[in-house]
Amino acid sequence: MFQNFRQQLPSLDDRHTRRAVMSGIASSTLGVSLLSPWTRVLEAAPAAGTKTAKNVIYFYMGGAMSHIDTFDPKPDNADVQGDVGTIATKTPGVQFGEHMKNLADLQDKLAVVRSMTTETADHGKGRYWLQTSYPVLNSIRHPSMGSWIVSPAGLGKKPNSDLPPFVLVNSNGNGHPGAGFLDPSLTPVPVANAEKGIENLELPSYLSDKAFKRRLDLADRLDAKFKQRYAGYQIESYNQMYKDAVRLMGSKDLEAFDLEKEKTEVRDRYGSSSIGQGALLARRLIQSGVRFVEVHYGGWDMHNNVADGMANKGTEMDQAVGSLIRDLASSGLLDETLIVLTSEFGRSPGINVNAGRDHHPAAFSYLLAGAGIKGGAVYGKSDDRGHGVDEDPVGLTDFNSTITVACGLDPFKQHFAPNGRPFKIGGGGDPIYDILTVS
Amino acid sequence: MTIRMHYAPGRSDDSRLPHAFSSRVLVAVCLLLGAVNSAAWAAKPAPADEWKPPKLPAAVQEKPTGPIMQIAPIDRSRRSEVNAAAAKIDAMLQAYWAENDATLSAKTDDHEFVRRAYLELAGRIPTIDEANAFCNASSSTKREALIDDLLESPGYVSHFYNFWADILRLQERPSRDVWFEPYMAWVKQSIADNTPYDKWVYEMLTADGRISENPAAGFQLRDTGMPLAYVDNTTRVFLCTQIGCAQCHDHPFDRWTQQEFYKLAGLTSGIRYDAKQVLFGGMADTGAGSAFQKPDELIPNLGEIGFYVRQAIDDKKLDGGARTYLQMSSRMTSNMDDEFRLPHDYRYDDAEPLDVVEPGVLWGKIPDAVAEADNRTRFATWMTSRSNRQFARAIANRMWKKVMGVGLVEPVDDFQEGNIPALPELLEHLTDEMLRLDFDLREFVRVLVSTDTYQRLAVIYDPTSGVNYYFTGPALKRMTAEQLWDSLLTLVAANEWVYQRPTGKDLAPGISVDVSTVNFDQFVEAYKMYKQIRGDWQKKRNQANFQGLVLARASELPQPSPATHLLQHFGQGDRDAIETARQVATVPQVLALFNGWMTHAMLTPGSVIYDEVAKQKNIKGAVDTIFLAVLTHKPDAEIRRLAEKEIKEGVTPAAGCGDLIWSLLNTREFMFIE
Repeated sequence: MFQNFRQQLPSLDDRHTRRAVMSGIASSTLGVSLLSPWTRVLEAAPAAGTKTAKNVIYFYMGGAMSHIDTFDPKPDNADVQGDVGTIATKTPGVQFGEHMKNLADLQDKLAVVRSMTTETADHGKGRYWLQTSYPVLNSIRHPSMGSWIVSPAGLGKKPNSDLPPFVLVNSNGNGHPGAGFLDPSLTPVPVANAEKGIENLELPSYLSDKAFKRRLDLADRLDAKFKQRYAGYQIESYNQMYKDAVRLMGSKDLEAFDLEKEKTEVRDRYGSSSIGQGALLARRLIQSGVRFVEVHYGGWDMHNNVADGMANKGTEMDQAVGSLIRDLASSGLLDETLIVLTSEFGRSPGINVNAGRDHHPAAFSYLLAGAGIKGGAVYGKSDDRGHGVDEDPVGLTDFNSTITVACGLDPFKQHFAPNGRPFKIGGGGDPIYDILTVS
Repeated sequence: MTIRMHYAPGRSDDSRLPHAFSSRVLVAVCLLLGAVNSAAWAAKPAPADEWKPPKLPAAVQEKPTGPIMQIAPIDRSRRSEVNAAAAKIDAMLQAYWAENDATLSAKTDDHEFVRRAYLELAGRIPTIDEANAFCNASSSTKREALIDDLLESPGYVSHFYNFWADILRLQERPSRDVWFEPYMAWVKQSIADNTPYDKWVYEMLTADGRISENPAAGFQLRDTGMPLAYVDNTTRVFLCTQIGCAQCHDHPFDRWTQQEFYKLAGLTSGIRYDAKQVLFGGMADTGAGSAFQKPDELIPNLGEIGFYVRQAIDDKKLDGGARTYLQMSSRMTSNMDDEFRLPHDYRYDDAEPLDVVEPGVLWGKIPDAVAEADNRTRFATWMTSRSNRQFARAIANRMWKKVMGVGLVEPVDDFQEGNIPALPELLEHLTDEMLRLDFDLREFVRVLVSTDTYQRLAVIYDPTSGVNYYFTGPALKRMTAEQLWDSLLTLVAANEWVYQRPTGKDLAPGISVDVSTVNFDQFVEAYKMYKQIRGDWQKKRNQANFQGLVLARASELPQPSPATHLLQHFGQGDRDAIETARQVATVPQVLALFNGWMTHAMLTPGSVIYDEVAKQKNIKGAVDTIFLAVLTHKPDAEIRRLAEKEIKEGVTPAAGCGDLIWSLLNTREFMFIE
């Protein structure tokens, strides 16, 4: 199944590129198992003369982040605005929620989309749709955006890195669509806790590398009949994870996962929150050869007491993302790194009796910054209560296609799943060219 | 810190090993299982004479002596009835295979069956003794007997608790002031008592009072303050119907209108969540200045206790937990019917925004017997009534999936007109069976696992492959996180029940305070008792502690386990949303099996598998023992040669045994259920 897919992808219209030739060789002569897991995903030829993203750091605010209290405040409507104040940003006339102090100061580097809209108020479904660009269907597993970007159809893996191309921070990977129907090697490697990094990486000292390989080899031989009898997606995913784990254990770049290599003042600048340390880890990973880092930060399902929740979560998010943007800007990495901040949907303009806000999919806000993105942009408009979209509605596929373009990829090119169905990276929506510096 | 240095740099001098065994050929086996080099186990480099291997806690090394828990007995006189019911299901499937030219999978042999049965019904692999007892028995009805025995074992309760915990979102503290320990204990108890499902659900939907006196109230408290989410979740869990979209607008794909959603919500909107609301009668969701916001004047002693608690905390006479305990103790549920209104932005023609809705049900009618009852009672009665066939159908499909791996309707909680069942006649038959058995879930499972179809080898189910699955055997499944953990535990701990979470009875003295009547001193006494009980259980838990892992069944560990625990790596649900457990592959899972403490525990003297291997007199016996313990079968000739060669060629025979155990743990055959 996976071999088929690898042959299908390049055969579409770049048959003669190095990538296509290499994958052709890989699947026809070498056999999949002979290639190391991550080097099979080869680097795409860079597009000349554009400043598209080479890396992506993707923040996902789990639980549905309030748009009114972050990037789309309604100061003229006191009953909607509630107890969270507003703050002026660097861009005249543009205001943010009061806890977005750092991001307000960095607005000249950000594009805010205030006219996001989706069709479900269910956390699980909303998240899947956002992450894959497609609604949940029983008959197919769609790949997540990160897996697409690091796949041969996207930007591929970076050369000369042993690290996995796609890392998921502050999540154990449960509930993430992962690689979907793409090769299991494109599944994100989860880091449940940024500060602990990846655990259980060290072999016991009594076990030499040679003895370890011998054990692995023994396991393979003992398991041969079972693997053959049940050959299929489930078993293949595990075969792949075993290869990935072994490779990771031997990586020379593992230090990237160790936040203690950073000075205390740097760690403090990002904040001790999980998003703060997650953002710092993301920066280190990007610098060490990881292509796509997705950082999760949950707890936004503020049905109760949204003002207190925002003072806490909002402040931590602002500090983390703000520090990351500043760091990347000063090192020049912001020119080649796309930063994205999303949530499954927004929260209601009406404040409920528990001083909280409920689920609200009709209008909400997302954030983009860095490579390929116009700084200081505000795109779209919600109505005066933040309830519906007034101007330039942006669906999830429109937004995801914008990411595709920022990465220098063709959002309308078709890629085929093993079952022959066509898919586009970002779901085939209309990219928001108004906030892109590339096209 | 990224890289946990669990181990010191390697040392080659094995002479420092403490000799647990001294006189037999197998000394080496015992000492060097897994090439257990002395230095390997040191947490940090230390002089040789200070080195000590980590010891398994003594408590887990001894088999339990008394009964673990009281479980309602299986009625063995109903066996022939069960077999007839199973045969009927097989017959219906046969017709289905014939229609589709599908071939039934091969029959499991005794080894395959005993492994499957233990995992399915007791939540873990069988021990060597258990597997041998079954395989060596000659009775022609031994499969039936095993099923019946397992259905009244503590493992059954633990395993089905895990199943429900994922559906009911059981967390120790869903919010700071809601403590679920009594509710979690009650869920377990209901499984042990085999409470009929309809009664169980009815209790949850109508429970009144504090969680301490009526733990079923936990179900309503899970969605405290969220009446719309509550009706959405409840419909999804028990009717397997998703109406959530209709909260904001008519459902885009299904038939539900926003009006219908609000009518149903009107039946449950009267639920109140704390003493202030219940005792004074405040409104839950219209809010606007209702008096419960100032309860202190209305429930004098509650205000008084609150005042003194705050003062005592300020004076450092009480710790801050007392405040939480007070809030926790004032949580209770009740129902007060109220007017429920459409949202302010209602935009359909059939009503105006903010119109009062007449509460109503999604289909059928509310039974006449409760016509005059309060809304919540009417909702629960309608939901669980025998005439509401979808209630029976939904749970029948759920349990079918639990056993066979794939529901006749998938996803199991998304019944809708466009979602056609794989085999509609069978689904209706199972629904009839559920009704015939009066919602006895254990009896229903007993029928399903007694089918010939269930006793076939697993079949691949992959909806994305384009290859159809015709229920010609159970779908190939990876063990759930809990099955995997509990199976590893079986290889380590002779007693898997050293630590059990407290029962309702254990907790009662610490949680029974009635904040509407007690005075401050009584409150402080109760708080002390509560802390005492928590401390006692903490001590009990420590008896099973090994390198920070509590060697107890997954059902007894933190709910859910923390993000870096092996259970979470292997996809235990987060219990935030309904059914989030997953069985997909990730790198940290593999690393945990390679290098985690659970693997090392197995290679430590005193572990079940270590001691079993040490008892063997020759390499052949060691190989058989290891295969039986890990994979529940002996190796075939070819594999045996391979394994024996490995042991002979190992650094020592013992090291070879360790390698073999490690290698078998890291096979797909170990983690998938054949």
